Amino acid sequence: MTNDHGGTVTPTDSATVPTEVVAEAPRAAKISPLRRLSLGRYTGVLVALLAVCVYLSLTQDVFLTWDNFMNIAKSNSVIFVLAIGATFVIISAGIDLSTVSAATASGMILGLTLQAGWSIVLVLLATVFFGLFLGLLNGMMITKLKISFLVVTLGTLSIYQSFALVVHDGQTISLFGKPGFNVLGNFVNHDIGPFPILLVFDLILLLVAGGVLRYTGFGRALFAVGSNPEAARLNGINVGKIILFTYGIAGLTAGIASVVQVGRLTSAAPQADPTLLLTVLAAVLIGGTAYTGGEGGVLGTLVGVLFLGVVQNGLTLSSVSSFWQGTVSGVILISAVGLGVLRDRGFTLRTRRMARSPSALAEPPSPIEPGAPS
Amino acid sequence: MLRLTGIVKRFPGVVALDRVDLEIRAGVVHALTGENGSGKSTLARIASGALGPDAGRIEVDGVERRIATPKEALDLGIVTISQELTLAPTLTVAENVFLGRLPRTRFRTVDWPRLLADTTEILDSLGVRVDPRRPVSELSVELQQEIEIARAVSSRSRLLILDEATSSLSEAATSRLLEVVEQERAKGVAVLMISHRMPELYRAASIASVLRDGHLVADVPLPQTPETELVRLMVGRELGDYYRKRAIDPGETVLEVRDLASLDGQLLPTSLSVRRGEIVGVAGLVGSGKAELGLALGGAIPSVGTAQVLGRDVDLSQPRTALAGGIGFVPDDRKRAALLPTRSVAENFSVAWTNQLTRAGIVDTRTERQRVREAIERYGVVTASASSRITTLSGGNQQKVVLGRVFARDLDVLVLSEPTRGIDVGAKSEIYRLMQEFAAQGAGIVIISSELPELLGIADRILVFFRGQVRGEFTTGGLEEEEVAHVAVSGTRLESAA
Repeated sequence: MTNDHGGTVTPTDSATVPTEVVAEAPRAAKISPLRRLSLGRYTGVLVALLAVCVYLSLTQDVFLTWDNFMNIAKSNSVIFVLAIGATFVIISAGIDLSTVSAATASGMILGLTLQAGWSIVLVLLATVFFGLFLGLLNGMMITKLKISFLVVTLGTLSIYQSFALVVHDGQTISLFGKPGFNVLGNFVNHDIGPFPILLVFDLILLLVAGGVLRYTGFGRALFAVGSNPEAARLNGINVGKIILFTYGIAGLTAGIASVVQVGRLTSAAPQADPTLLLTVLAAVLIGGTAYTGGEGGVLGTLVGVLFLGVVQNGLTLSSVSSFWQGTVSGVILISAVGLGVLRDRGFTLRTRRMARSPSALAEPPSPIEPGAPS
Repeated sequence: MLRLTGIVKRFPGVVALDRVDLEIRAGVVHALTGENGSGKSTLARIASGALGPDAGRIEVDGVERRIATPKEALDLGIVTISQELTLAPTLTVAENVFLGRLPRTRFRTVDWPRLLADTTEILDSLGVRVDPRRPVSELSVELQQEIEIARAVSSRSRLLILDEATSSLSEAATSRLLEVVEQERAKGVAVLMISHRMPELYRAASIASVLRDGHLVADVPLPQTPETELVRLMVGRELGDYYRKRAIDPGETVLEVRDLASLDGQLLPTSLSVRRGEIVGVAGLVGSGKAELGLALGGAIPSVGTAQVLGRDVDLSQPRTALAGGIGFVPDDRKRAALLPTRSVAENFSVAWTNQLTRAGIVDTRTERQRVREAIERYGVVTASASSRITTLSGGNQQKVVLGRVFARDLDVLVLSEPTRGIDVGAKSEIYRLMQEFAAQGAGIVIISSELPELLGIADRILVFFRGQVRGEFTTGGLEEEEVAHVAVSGTRLESAA
């Protein structure tokens, strides 16, 4: 494929023709749709996910059932919602370590306000806005005080968690049967037709987040800031505002995730699963969002969450000790990101070949391009 | 002492040094001079072991050597003072002066009293007044440079390489450094002095080797060779005629700058004005303040002073306010400050248009696609598709995107810093054409460049910076490169040119 223009280019010494531009041959070969798909950021993970699904459906009778799938969807909902927010932050070339703590703290606000007899609408608003507030607090410290996002969110990881313990003296607030809780219970347990409400909600969230990234000025600016903040600034983007909003979004998703979490547990707990944060960040990275910023997306994050969720489901069904789950997740994270690095390296090698001088292209073509599909 | 024969060094796309011979003798101050990009610093880095040559012989005291690392150069007595500081900022002055060779006690611990005493002695001999116990990061850049010099002269050197070492020094400090150089020379040390500042060369050196485009042009004795002759040797290129002369009909004043100065002190209060249709060139050496003029006008660095576009004040506190006021700025460092390396060609264009394309927060993607398609065609960007990653393009095509996105905003003033750095001849010629078209449409263009032939070819008027200020202004009709170069290196005009 790289050879279809090789014969048409004649060697030219560009230095001898300064007055007219050398008509440059279209050097970069056309990329077929199939090839483009194979270069996608999360395609490898998607293939692996399908392979795992095929294996599990052959070995585990229960796996390929509607109920099991819906169970995977529901039990990964909290991770998914948090991972959406984390995707925004990681695209900005930052990281939010406090997101699970913020969700735990928001959950306590939900429990306390519901217990205090607030109407369910006010309770939900208070919870989500509290999450947003915690996120903006992170953002303010990062942009106004110019403290590193690692330091700020490591600090608030501890502070928000501590707050969750302090507000109710470390006690879990049981909400089952409380007035207004049935709305929450329905939200996480009931179905619309064959689909759980929670799944529909997650898909709407995915569409909204994807739309924001792709079609809004904010989304575009976010990618620019993550790719090269100085270039973004020089092109008139208010970098501080974008970063502030980004951490605000992470806080907002923490607030939403806390609603799902409390609904599923029927209580507001002041402590969260300690592996939750790692699962959230791993899902985003497995989904092809680069920790160096400036690329990625929420569709990849969905694939990442599903992959980890299906693997965990498979381990449970195969009655593998849950102690092994951490090992498996870790291996998956390192291989997925590692393969991404290899893919990028292969990609630059290819483009470097394509970008060689016209005279180099006119040389006898090498017999086989390693790695190029034929 | 050191003999280099047939040195060749290639970088991707350029031959930085082409069969260069150089012989440096003990007890002689040897100047190495040439324009920016002529290969001076590359040669110095090869002599000091920081770079390996692709071909050629290096002999030290008549014995062929491979100087593979800076450490090996140091062991041979080759010591470099470069324009880039190589200090450890968190360590004290004394530790930096004796970095890697701290005096030890019998128990192999650091002998602090002796370290402080020795440092004080060296600093005194250089006339530097600073507490040796202070961390280097607390000192000004100039003092840091002096610490660097103290380190160099306190090590037993046989060859001292000064790579633009005076570029961040004041007149007084430069003078002191030259005294130290003279003392070292008298002790039999060989000195290689890289500089294009004429007064220093004439004061210190007895022989000058001139490089141009990677070739050794001449070895001339100093101070017998007249300055005009030396500058002629440095520039002496034929002007290509690919700049396409055009009729200039400057209109009303579009940009009026009054007493603009950068807060970092690199740009001293400067006033200038640009008229519609005019291309104003800005020349000067590295560190002359010309780069800061661009950054300040683009709102990229803090500055004081005023700028007006068509009579309206422009807020230069932020790039976005400068843009809103009608000033577009293209920075000199494409990789660091202009490209979005992880994004597509299309997004690298539209990042500059986000405000124009956004209605109620939503990007009008149809208009975006159309404008990107037009821009790719209009600015002649060679790319597989608009969705290809920008990094798959050649440097020249990347630069066309970076310039095109600002051109397409239809601003009244464009400030372009080194717009043709690191791109090939064909792309350069296209970029000149685009600039001329844009000026013809009524914009005012300021082009900041280190390449004099480019400025002489494209600009209608040239301002020359020296130490933060405009020291010369020329109209380009019949202008000789030497006249501009003279102001850039010395701050004064050539007497014969009147």
